[in-house]
Amino acid sequence: MYGLEAINANNGWAISVVGVSIVFSGLVMLSLVISQLHKVLALWEDPSKIKALFKAKQSEDQSDKLQEKEIVDQAVFTESQKEVVRQFGLLIRTMEDHFSLPRLLHLAQISDLKNPHSNLNNLLETKIIIPDGSGFFTWEKETFDKAIL
Amino acid sequence: MSNIKEILNKSSVFNSLGEDDIQRLEPLFEKREIHPGDIIAKAEDTAQFFFLLNKGTILLAMEEGRSVVLNTPGDFIGLELLSARGVYKTTMTVLENGSVFVVPRQDFLSVIQEDSSAAAVIMTSWQEYLDKTASFAKNIEDLSLPEHF
Repeated sequence: MYGLEAINANNGWAISVVGVSIVFSGLVMLSLVISQLHKVLALWEDPSKIKALFKAKQSEDQSDKLQEKEIVDQAVFTESQKEVVRQFGLLIRTMEDHFSLPRLLHLAQISDLKNPHSNLNNLLETKIIIPDGSGFFTWEKETFDKAIL
Repeated sequence: MSNIKEILNKSSVFNSLGEDDIQRLEPLFEKREIHPGDIIAKAEDTAQFFFLLNKGTILLAMEEGRSVVLNTPGDFIGLELLSARGVYKTTMTVLENGSVFVVPRQDFLSVIQEDSSAAAVIMTSWQEYLDKTASFAKNIEDLSLPEHF
């Protein structure tokens, strides 16, 4: 048995398709590696780029930590401020869970709280009062407890 | 930060404008100091000015008890966030010391009406800013007519 007959009888067509696929995949992989080779060579020539990459990542982490620390630091109140914060807390108990900030400011003013505008700003900065996204605000009890203790 | 050019370039509403447009807007703005408790615009009053925050914190009290707190330099307080048909619909109360740049409403609207390309840039950025800052305050009236504000 010779020629096409022999190829058909011994799965020659399938074998050749598999062979062609393997070679083609290999060539595609090789071309991808070569196309990216310049990046590896650039790092090889200038290793400081690798260090810069890690440093950038580290400084990103550090700035996140710093931001968190700032919020915690801001939440440190003086005794008189703590008293005003507690008074704001009492006012908020009389309001809805999602309350109106101008209404809270009004209540603080008529209740004769000390420096209502600045103290309300402190509560916003320390994230004891946070916006709910629909124009109203909520009281963060955990943050309040941490700031007061 | 106190330079109007720097603030315009920093503002998410104006930073997409070209250098020529920024130069044209600069002389319209005038700096004013703000202090806690100051009410710099009152609902129902005739809308004379729009505002660009330089430093400090401002509470914008809207209808139905809703409000938004602005404290990022470059925050623009104008258009439907502040007024409708030439009347303030928002009361602006200062919570923290700082300063704002005020721009006469009519002058600002004239710039928008005269320069259609600058107007398109400002209005596109404005809608994005409003979505991010106070989407609940968005006005669905015809935005192509600046006199609505």
